[in-house]
Amino acid sequence: MTEAASVRVQALQKSFWDESRGEIRAVDRIDFDCRAGEVFGLLGANGAGKTTTLRILATILNPTGGTASLNGHDVRSEPEAVRRSLGFFSASTALYPRLTGRETLEFFARINRYPADQVSRRVEELIERFGIAEYADARVEKLSSGMKQKISIARTIVHDPPVLIFDEPTVGLDVMAALEMQSVIRELRDEGKTIIFSTHIMSEAEKLCDRIAIIHQGRILALGTLEQHRQATGQHYLEDIFVHEVMAVEGSP
Amino acid sequence: MSRTKSRDHGVLATLFLYEMKRLLRDTRMILIAVVAPLVLFPFIIFVMRSVERSEERRLTETVYQYAVVGDEAQWGRDIVSAALALEVNDPDTSRAPVHFEEQQVSDSDALLNSAEIHLVVEALSPESYQMIRAAEANADADTTRTDDDGAALELPTLRLRYRGQSDFSQNASDRLGSRIVDLRSQLRDSVYTARGFSVAPAQIAMVETENTASAEKEAGALLGLALTPFLLLLMLTGGSIMAVDAISGEKERGSLETLLTTAAARSDIVTAKLLGIVAVGIAVAVVNILNLLVYVVLGVVDLPETFAVALSALDLVLLLLLFLPLTVLISSALLLLSGYAKSYKEYQIYFFPLFLVFLVPSLAGMLPGMDLRSAIAFAPIAGIGVAVREIMVGEYDWLFLLIAFSSTGAAASWAARLTERTLSTERLISQSDLDEADLVGGPALFPRHVLRWFAVMWVVYLMISLWFGEDLGIRGQIVVNLVFIFFGGSLLMIRRYGLDPRAAFALRPVHPLVWLAVVIGAPAGYIVGIGLAGLVNTYVFPVPQNVLEAFGDTLLGDEMPLWQLLLFLTIIPGILEELAFRGVLLHGLRKVFGPVGICLVVGAIFGIFHVSLFRLVPTAYLGVIFAAVVLLTGSIFPVMLWHFANNAIGLVPAYMGWVTEETAVPWWGYALGLVGMIIALGMIWSVRSPYPDMRKKRPKAFE
Repeated sequence: MTEAASVRVQALQKSFWDESRGEIRAVDRIDFDCRAGEVFGLLGANGAGKTTTLRILATILNPTGGTASLNGHDVRSEPEAVRRSLGFFSASTALYPRLTGRETLEFFARINRYPADQVSRRVEELIERFGIAEYADARVEKLSSGMKQKISIARTIVHDPPVLIFDEPTVGLDVMAALEMQSVIRELRDEGKTIIFSTHIMSEAEKLCDRIAIIHQGRILALGTLEQHRQATGQHYLEDIFVHEVMAVEGSP
Repeated sequence: MSRTKSRDHGVLATLFLYEMKRLLRDTRMILIAVVAPLVLFPFIIFVMRSVERSEERRLTETVYQYAVVGDEAQWGRDIVSAALALEVNDPDTSRAPVHFEEQQVSDSDALLNSAEIHLVVEALSPESYQMIRAAEANADADTTRTDDDGAALELPTLRLRYRGQSDFSQNASDRLGSRIVDLRSQLRDSVYTARGFSVAPAQIAMVETENTASAEKEAGALLGLALTPFLLLLMLTGGSIMAVDAISGEKERGSLETLLTTAAARSDIVTAKLLGIVAVGIAVAVVNILNLLVYVVLGVVDLPETFAVALSALDLVLLLLLFLPLTVLISSALLLLSGYAKSYKEYQIYFFPLFLVFLVPSLAGMLPGMDLRSAIAFAPIAGIGVAVREIMVGEYDWLFLLIAFSSTGAAASWAARLTERTLSTERLISQSDLDEADLVGGPALFPRHVLRWFAVMWVVYLMISLWFGEDLGIRGQIVVNLVFIFFGGSLLMIRRYGLDPRAAFALRPVHPLVWLAVVIGAPAGYIVGIGLAGLVNTYVFPVPQNVLEAFGDTLLGDEMPLWQLLLFLTIIPGILEELAFRGVLLHGLRKVFGPVGICLVVGAIFGIFHVSLFRLVPTAYLGVIFAAVVLLTGSIFPVMLWHFANNAIGLVPAYMGWVTEETAVPWWGYALGLVGMIIALGMIWSVRSPYPDMRKKRPKAFE
C-alpha cells in the first residue's frame, strides 16, 4: 500500500450484553481501510452493525475487541485527538434549537479547538459556501428542515477535519435534499477528505461510493469497488449483488 | 478513556457560556420557573393575610346568638349574664370584647345544626346531668370535655354545645367558656375571702417566667432551623431548571450525540454542565431571598415584632463555606439524575424521590436536642443543617464545624466524580436508543415493570386496609387483599404482558423428596422464625408486649370456627400469596436480579406487604426462604404446602389453648429448629431442579 490509510479498522468487535439473550455481537471482527479522497460505503440493512461501527470510530462506544484508528490516532487511547480529526453527521445528530446558525458554527468550531483567531473567518466562509447568509442569525428552531440540513453539514466540517463520517445522512430527506447531500459529499471527497458513508439504499451506494463493504449481522461479507463486486458475483445491480452475498451466508431463500 | 491530558479552559468556558446562553433564551421556562414565583409569592401572602384579617374582624364583630335550655335554665341564664359582664368589662384592651345575644327558641339543637344560632347553653340539675352522662357513656364520648372529677354532684352543671366545623360557633364557646371559668375563680375567691382567708387567693403559687435569650439569639435559632431546608429547596428546584435540559433534554432532542462527537473532553462537558447547574441553583436561591427581603422591607411580609438578626462577617463566610459543598452535592445529584433519565418525563418522575432524599436530612436541625457535637456531624447534609443552626445562635464548635463541612464535602466530591464517570460511559448514548421491548411490549418488558406493579398493588392494599379495614373485618380483608389485589393483580399482569401462566406461576412437578423436606422444614422454620423475631424485638426495635398480645387477639378474637380460621388464614394465603409473590413477582424478577438478589427482594416485598413493623422481619424471613425453595425446585407447589403448614402451626395450637403467650421455646428447641432447617434445605438442594430461564450472568468484560 503506497498511501497511508487514514482510517484503519482491524478485527473490530463490539458485543452488548442483553439480560435475557446474553451476548449479542453487533460488530463481529471486521476489517477495512479508507484512504483520503475516497468515499467508502458501508451497505447493510437496519441493525447490520453500521451505526455501531461508526459510533466506535467516533469514540462514543468502546470496542470490545480489535483496534481502530483515525488519522493515526487510536480510538481507545486518544479519543479526543480522534474526534478532533473527525466530522460526524447522522440523521440523529440534531442542533440546538435556541442557537442561531452562526452561533452554532462558532460554538462547534471552538469546542473542536479550531484556532480561535480564525473561527470567525471560517464561519463566514461556510455561511457563504452553503448559502445560509440569509438566515444565519435566525434561531435554528425557526428554520425549515432543508435550512437545518445545510447548517448541520456546515457544523460537521466547521473545524476542517480530514475524516468525515456520514451515517445514513439521507434518511428522512426528500429527493432534492438527498441529491444535494450527495453532491456535497462528492465535493468533500474532491477536496481530499476521507469519507465513510453508510446507507441501506442501494442506488445511493452505487452512485456515490468508490468502494463498498456489504455488512450483514455484524460481519463484512464482501468489500471492493462496484466492478469487483460485479465480477465476484456475476450480478450487475448492487441490489442483486447484495442479495447474492447475503444468501451465500444465510442459505438459499 | 476520556481523561484529558491538556485541559483546555477555552473549551470549558465555551461550553459553559453556551449552556447559559441557551438557558437564558428559553423565555417560557424563565417566566414559569423564575418570574412567576416572584410575582405569585407576595400575591399569595397578600391574599392569605387579607383573608385572615377579615376573618379575625368578623369573629370580633359578630353578635353571637345563643340559647339557654335545660331544667335549670334560669340559673344558667344568671351565670351566663354574669360571665358576659366580665367579657364586656374586660380590663385587658388588647382584644375587643365580643357580644352575645340570647334567643328564645324551642328547638335549640336543630337551630344549632342549621347554623342559626352559635351556641346552646344547657343548664342541668345534677339528676338530669347524670342521666345524660350515663346515656353518652355508651355512645362515643370522646367529643365532650368536662370539669367533672367523678365526685358526686350536688350543684347544677352548664354544658356548652357548639359545632366544631364553624369557627364562629367554636369561638363563641371558647369565649363564653373561658369567661365562665374566670367567673368561677372570682366566686371561689370571694368565698375564701368571706371565710376570712388572709391573703389574696390569686397570689397562691404565683409564677413568672423570663426569657434570658436576646432577640437576636431567638431569631437566629428560628432562622437556623429553616435556612438549610429553605436553601436546599430553592437550589433543588432552581438547579433543576438547568439540569433537566442538561442531559435528558439533549438526549430527547438528539443534540447529545452531536456534542459527544466533538473534540470536547467528556470531563469538560460534564464540568460545564455541573457549573451551569450550580450557577442557576445559586442564582435562583439569591433571587428568591432578595425577593423575600424586598417584601419584608415593603411591609408586605410581616416579621415577628422582636425579630432581629445579628450576623457577623465571619458568620456569613462560615455559612457560605458550609453551603458550598451542599450546592455541589445537589448539583451533582441533579446532573446524575439527568444522565440516567431517558427524557424530560423520566427526569420529573425521578426528581421527587431525590428531593425527599435531600430534604429529610436537611431537617435534622429541627430535631429537638440535636447537637452538632455528635455523630450527626458525620452525616452529609444533616451535619450542615445542624451546623448552620449553631452558627446562627452564635455557637462555634470548630472541630465539629470542620467535620460537618468535610463530610458533606467528601460526599460532594464523590458525587461529582461519580457523575463524571457515569456520564463518560457509553451507556449515556446507547440508553437513549429505544428498546425493542419498549415498542412491542410482551413478556420481555415484564421484568422491567414488575416492581412498579407491586408498588401500585401495595398502595391499593394500604389504602384499603386504612380506609375499610374495620368495616371489612378480618375475613373481608383477607378476601379483598388476597383474591382481588394479589390474585387479581397477578392475572392482570399475565394478561397485560401475555405471560405463560404455567411459567409465571411456576406450576411444575417436583421430586417426591421435596415434600418430605417441606414436612420437616415447616415446623423447623417456624421455630427459627420465632427465635429471629425474638432477637429483632430485643435488639433492633423492641415491640411492647401488649402490642404483640393485641395482635394475637385480633386474629383469634373474631370468634370464627376453626374451619374458617384454617380457610382464611392458612389455605387461601398459602395458595394466593404464593401465586403472587413466589409466582408472578419472582418470575418477573428472575431477569432483574441474581438468585440471592431475588430472594432478598422477594422477602423484603413480602415483608412490607404485611404493613406492620413487628411482623416485617418474620414475614421477610419466610419470604426469603420461600423464594429460595422456588428457585431450587422451579415449582410453586412445595412452598404452598410450607406456607399453609407454617400458618397452621402458628394458629392451631394457640386456638386449642395448647400454648399461650407465656409459652417459651427452650434453647434446644431453637437448636433443633435450625438443624431441621438445614436438613430440609439440604434435601431440597440435593434434588434441585433450578428455576428455568434466569438472568444470564454478565461477564466481567461487559461491566
